[in-house]
Amino acid sequence: MRPQAYTTRRGATMGNWSRNQNTVRHTNKALGSISNFMIIMLLVLIVGLIYVSQGAQATNYDYEISAIEDEIAELEAKKEDLAVERARLTSIAASESSTVASSMEDANVEGYAE
Amino acid sequence: MKLNRNAVLKAGLLLVVAVIILKLFCIQIVEHEEWVEKAAAQHTLQNVLLAKRGEIYMMDGDEPVAVVMNATVYTVIVDPMLASEEELPEKLTEVLGEQRIAEWEDVFADKSRRYYVIAKNVERKVAEKVAEADLAGVWLQSDTKRVYPEGTLASTVLGFVNADGVGQYGVEGAMNEELTGVNGLLRTVKDVNNVALSIGGDNIKVPAEDGENIVLTIDRNLQYKVEKILEQQAEELGFKNISALVMDPRTGKVLAMANLPGYDPADFGNVMSAEDYINHVVEDPYEPASVCKTFTFAAGLEYGVMTPEKTFFNENVTYVDGWPIKNSTQKAELVGQISMQTALNWSMNTGSTQVLRWLGGSESEILQQGRERLYDYYYNHFGLGVPTGIELIESPGVVYGPNAEIYGIDSTYANMTFGQNMQVTMIQVASAFSAVVNGGEYFAPTIVAGKVVNGEFVENEQAEAVRRAVSQETSATMREMLYNTRTSFRNNGVDAEGYYVGGKTGTAQMIKDGAYSFDETVATYVGFGGTAGELPEYVIMVRVWEDGKIAGGEAQALPVFNVLKACVQDYLKIKPAGV
Repeated sequence: MRPQAYTTRRGATMGNWSRNQNTVRHTNKALGSISNFMIIMLLVLIVGLIYVSQGAQATNYDYEISAIEDEIAELEAKKEDLAVERARLTSIAASESSTVASSMEDANVEGYAE
Repeated sequence: MKLNRNAVLKAGLLLVVAVIILKLFCIQIVEHEEWVEKAAAQHTLQNVLLAKRGEIYMMDGDEPVAVVMNATVYTVIVDPMLASEEELPEKLTEVLGEQRIAEWEDVFADKSRRYYVIAKNVERKVAEKVAEADLAGVWLQSDTKRVYPEGTLASTVLGFVNADGVGQYGVEGAMNEELTGVNGLLRTVKDVNNVALSIGGDNIKVPAEDGENIVLTIDRNLQYKVEKILEQQAEELGFKNISALVMDPRTGKVLAMANLPGYDPADFGNVMSAEDYINHVVEDPYEPASVCKTFTFAAGLEYGVMTPEKTFFNENVTYVDGWPIKNSTQKAELVGQISMQTALNWSMNTGSTQVLRWLGGSESEILQQGRERLYDYYYNHFGLGVPTGIELIESPGVVYGPNAEIYGIDSTYANMTFGQNMQVTMIQVASAFSAVVNGGEYFAPTIVAGKVVNGEFVENEQAEAVRRAVSQETSATMREMLYNTRTSFRNNGVDAEGYYVGGKTGTAQMIKDGAYSFDETVATYVGFGGTAGELPEYVIMVRVWEDGKIAGGEAQALPVFNVLKACVQDYLKIKPAGV
């Protein structure tokens, strides 16, 4: 087991101080400069990777959005074309010249229509 | 001095570094903006998001139906450098059919020309076949165009959109701003494939605001019927030009508005004359002639200077400023004391001139007070010579003021009492006529019923009357006078029992080379109708004319009115009284 990083001098000084019994002494245990540098570089690398992965993910989404938007535009154009076709088929002139209309007999009712 | 090599190397390196620093300074500080622009141009996508032009609808009963729409069309483009001279004609000739606008020999004659349009306005089905062929050097460019499912129906009312996407004539021209919408903007960072990326802090997306989908008050079925009747009547009467207007006098809503000849808005460039584009109902002021007696007599009633029974001495001619004003009907039995009702029945110019004299407080002279009173009613009460505010391109026309500095102001005003020496539009006359017969309230005519928003019809609120044109009593008297005029001697039997129909003819000489022509006249009829005992439910106005021909209000315009009246009566399901 590693020794503690501080020692209590409680027992040794009990006779001298009746108060302030919690005093501790720190032992300096700092990392070396190369280790610090490596850690920082590692962190920078990790942050960079996260940034790149997020950017790539956003770009993937952009591609998906672009594809969906193209599809929407295509479907809307098709919808418009169908609406135009429907309007043409239901136009008065088309209805009047349809086979159904041409086979109908003219009404022969005098007065007003109700 | 002996140079130290290390010192030279150091100095050299220092110089190189200094040059680099200097260049970087220039790029990053001095030419900063220029380089930023260059960089932005490479990785910025900037697109105008085109607003979709609004569609135009007509009513079909209670439902709006689209009559002007947008469709996606394609332009087929060939790069002769990349395309195969053998394969292309073989595969595309049949697919494109008559839509091909270029000869293959011309396409491949100059291969350095990298962009050759071989077909325009190609519809989706054809474009898909072109795309399926997967030919090298061929690509499609999409575009939108206006389509008209109802063909030529109401073409002069609708107008068209020119090659620049700007509305011309009709609703397209008058409401171009509302129909156009506002383009949006997309500015983003892009990748090599031109795909917009969401990264970057300066991205902008302003969505396009599509144009409004406008619903007209015009009823599609009635419009179709009216146009068919006009075509048939034009053939029967032998006249090229007929215009007609059907409106609801209780609201000012236009139910049908037609002009012959029309044109095909999908092929607007293919007309014989630019005059074919004109909507004569609103854009073409003319002299409506004796239909204006309605307004003169109404003014006379308002000032209490006449009643239908009041008489004047008719000689079939009267003189103003030394000029003779004659009646069109010179019957000897009509000379003598004539009631104003009879004067209206026979459309006597002498009678309407007499009302002008009475308005001035005189029996024999036209006075300034008379001119002022007539002008007040014509201009301020009835809106003649004033744009009505209808949502179309309008011409105001001309009605001279009572003190206008023109030669023969009194004779001008005498002519104005029977609708000459003034220029007004059909819509002005029909709106004023509606005010005279609807109980006296002037409604601004309108052609817009509302909008279609997200597929739902949002109807405009019914507009209030703009002003009181005449009193209810005057309106009731005028209805009776107009009914008597129609039924007294000329039209017995035309109107079925239980209906109350009145109207007035008008025949005006056309001005040719600055003078009234005896060889060319324009015929007008304006009338109202509805269930007897109730306020009128429709007003119809008809105008018939053709260059070099004589048209009469009674001979040409009245028969057209009669046919239209029967049609409108049936279509609106107007019941006779007692049913």
